[in-house]
Amino acid sequence: MKSSYNLSDKFDFSVFLPVIFLIIIGLVGIYSATNNNPTAHGAFLKQSVMAIVAVSVFFIAYFLPVRIIRIMTIYTYIFSLIILVAVLLVGKTVYGAKSWINIGPIGFQPSEFAKIGFIFIIAYLLTSDKRNPNKVKDFLILILYSLIPILLILFEPDMGTVLIYVSILMALLFWSGIDLFYVFVTLSPGFVLFSSFFGKAAFILAMIVVFVLLLYFKKNIFINISILIINMSAAYLFDFAYRFLKPHQQKRIQTFINPTSDPLGAGYNILQAQLAIGSGGFWGKGFLKGNQTQLSFIPKQWTDFIFSVIGEEFGFIGSVLIVILFVIVFVRLLNIAGHTSNKFESLVIIGVLTLLITHFTINIGMNLGVAPVVGIPLPFLSYGGSSLIVNMFLLGIVMNFYKHRKEHI
Amino acid sequence: MKDQIFASSLRKKIFLAIIFIIFTGFIFELSKMQILEYKDYKRKASNNSIKKIPVKAPRGIFFDRNFSVLVSNKPSYTLEITPAIYDTSKNKILEKILGEKKDFIKNILYKKREYSKYLSRVIKRNISFKDVVWFEEHQEEFPGVKISVEMQRDYSFGINGSHIFGYLREINAQQLKKKKDYNMGDYIGVQGAEKTYEEHLRGKNGYHYILVDSKRKSIGKYLEGKNDMPPRKGDDLLFTIDYETQKKAEELFKNLKGSLVAIEPSSGEILAFVSAPQFNLQKFASFTSRSYIKKLSIDENKPLFNRASKSIYPPGSTYKMLLALLGLKEHIVDNNYAVVCKGGYKFGNRFFRCTHIHGYTNLTKAIEQSCNTFFYKLILDVGLQKWSLFSKQFGFGKKTGFDLGNESAGIVPDKNYYNRVYGRRRWGKGTLLSLAIGQGELSVTTLQLAQYAALLANYGKTKVPHIVKAFLVGNTSLYVPIKFETVSNNLPKMYYDEIRSAMLKVVESKEGTAHNIKLPDIKIAGKTGTSQNPHGKDHAVFIAFAPYQHPKIAVAVLVENAGFGGQHAAPIAQKIIRTYLKSLNNNNTIL
Repeated sequence: MKSSYNLSDKFDFSVFLPVIFLIIIGLVGIYSATNNNPTAHGAFLKQSVMAIVAVSVFFIAYFLPVRIIRIMTIYTYIFSLIILVAVLLVGKTVYGAKSWINIGPIGFQPSEFAKIGFIFIIAYLLTSDKRNPNKVKDFLILILYSLIPILLILFEPDMGTVLIYVSILMALLFWSGIDLFYVFVTLSPGFVLFSSFFGKAAFILAMIVVFVLLLYFKKNIFINISILIINMSAAYLFDFAYRFLKPHQQKRIQTFINPTSDPLGAGYNILQAQLAIGSGGFWGKGFLKGNQTQLSFIPKQWTDFIFSVIGEEFGFIGSVLIVILFVIVFVRLLNIAGHTSNKFESLVIIGVLTLLITHFTINIGMNLGVAPVVGIPLPFLSYGGSSLIVNMFLLGIVMNFYKHRKEHI
Repeated sequence: MKDQIFASSLRKKIFLAIIFIIFTGFIFELSKMQILEYKDYKRKASNNSIKKIPVKAPRGIFFDRNFSVLVSNKPSYTLEITPAIYDTSKNKILEKILGEKKDFIKNILYKKREYSKYLSRVIKRNISFKDVVWFEEHQEEFPGVKISVEMQRDYSFGINGSHIFGYLREINAQQLKKKKDYNMGDYIGVQGAEKTYEEHLRGKNGYHYILVDSKRKSIGKYLEGKNDMPPRKGDDLLFTIDYETQKKAEELFKNLKGSLVAIEPSSGEILAFVSAPQFNLQKFASFTSRSYIKKLSIDENKPLFNRASKSIYPPGSTYKMLLALLGLKEHIVDNNYAVVCKGGYKFGNRFFRCTHIHGYTNLTKAIEQSCNTFFYKLILDVGLQKWSLFSKQFGFGKKTGFDLGNESAGIVPDKNYYNRVYGRRRWGKGTLLSLAIGQGELSVTTLQLAQYAALLANYGKTKVPHIVKAFLVGNTSLYVPIKFETVSNNLPKMYYDEIRSAMLKVVESKEGTAHNIKLPDIKIAGKTGTSQNPHGKDHAVFIAFAPYQHPKIAVAVLVENAGFGGQHAAPIAQKIIRTYLKSLNNNNTIL
């Protein structure tokens, strides 16, 4: 298998070019969304500068000696914790969350930068020969290391980012070879609960899926029945707990399930984004011609709702292009991870991949109205320097590993 | 299955499967939205950015019979805040400028927190013009704050007319359910002409289309206003009211309780209409009237109650002419019909008192000096049933059909009535004697009395009493008169002549009960009355018409708890008559 791989290839253009293309699409969208908006003047120019900085950061990471990256791991983790504590002390509150630090004229989001340290430390802990995640003690140590940054972000509070961190942790555990049955046991109640939001039919369907998987694992009947009961009660427990929620919390869940229930309040953004995308049609309304975008119906559309700008002005063609470009990157990253024999590097690549997939899925899902509104950006496209620089740095590291992969063979 | 292997191909496949599921999910959703349901989204999206803004139609205004303005409109300014774009740190400054207490704005915004934050909330109505100018100048510093203009009633023209005009109130949720063509925040007439003529007065709201952004902020007209629809102004009302007469009547009743209705006899047009105490319409104009209405509704004098058309009283001696006419019609009363009044009438073992000892009394003297004895005898000769039927011919015991509605039918007792109230055979003819002098169970409204006076003035022919005679159509000012039905009783003119001349003597003759109001230049015919009141002091009643030869005005006055009609009610009628005839002369010379 591995022999078919072209080892002389030191730079993977099938990752780099789609990403550059995505950044350009993002800039087009930002230009369009801020064109008519007096409060966001200069956003396009600022993001263009950021794009150049980010590409430079990519190459710096690409050329870093692998040895330094290894040594960096523990320090990046400690630095991440420091800035996460700092933001809670001196951070600026934006949209109800304390997630920004301002140094002079430059502001950045520590939770974005801390992703680097987080991926590295988990990958490092899972790589160590002495540790086996299938052992309870080692597993707990791992959880402890992850829990510190997650709790700090929870205090900001930034639920969206917490979700990303948890996904990365689980993906890395999964990749490192943790017993699939454990994964199944932990994930299935969440899966059933989520399905139950969409009615009884979805709930029953989810339970059937769980049942089929149970047969696949061939555990004894006692374990099978207990797991089915846990799953069933997850959905009922939610229904029960729902009654104890405050009205505004219930409303948020309702709005997610049915955005039209509150068209001018919480469901407003979802509804407007859906209208923008749906009304774009097959070919789109044309650059700077999307009236939803140009009349700025969606607040801060150039950040979390950038996908709806492209969806409206470039239609189905534009939207599908974005999805395909992302999927190309994902599949390539998965392949590289699969072909890298160094465990640490393979895990870091999976961490980066998971980071991108979760951002991609939640962000576009939210734009299409199939995921709840949590404020997380679309990688490479959304306005914002921190996220772009971090993502490009991580890709640079991945490319660095890719370049050196033959050294491990 | 045992798989605890790092980066196994199974795990890679699971990863790939997840990526594939997400990919197909998104492609599926995008095809659905952008290809299959495209048209639906497109329609919704265009509704979204184009907003229909209703433009309220100015309400029709009120003119008197000579086109003097009675009630008009004036602009009022309202401060509104849209929370989505409002900066709460401005609360302090705003509160200071509006002259409100600390947290005034915070409390309002909190109270209305349930609504979408993109909808504006009314903070304060009726803000002063000075403040409006200040806000216009400082608009930039207060995002989310706007001043909107509303039209409100202007009652500054000297006529209060609370029971004529009625008032407006913001339509409530219940009414809104029933009336589909109204919107939230529209005003609707609650009483009086505002209510009766609501459909004419409100006009038709227009609308214009604007392009809005996400903050619902207008960013221009849609298609240069091609599809806009201007509002159609409500129809103006031409009242039958005479400005001067109405003003005088309100003045005269300033500290009294009671009512007055003056009618132009031939047409049924109401010249003046007062129910006292009145309430102050100016306080309703500001739309902050909730507490004022509450205060009025618990006031023991019941100012909200329309005494002129809704309260019923025994008419007292003013009713005697009706019985006299009936006597003439039935050929019971002729030149020889008379009584000798010894200060009362003995019926069975009861004695029914008269006011004085009148001696020999015929019809004319009986009316002139208001002799009860004469009428005690007469009603016994006529009988209850004929009297009841005849009363109906003069509009008693039934609603007049007055255009403002809100009236009582009054009570004209007949055999059935007494059987119902007292039981069969449990009442005797004695009950009739009270009816003869307009007391007992007989109850009438002042409006009915005025119509009765008009019938006497105009030989039994008038029209349904009304207070609005025409519309001036909103956008064209076309004059559209309203038709009213004729009310008449076909009695020979000679009968009326006899009664009218007796009524003239009530004022003109030295023995007349209302001689005190005699005028040198105007011949007034009238009749005094005292309405017995079991709860307190009697009510003073007076009906009259003038000038005697060709009457231009018929009037009924009732003053509660005042005593004898000639003394307390008649002078009011006299002043009204004089004012109206003078105003009529003035207007004639101008025209």
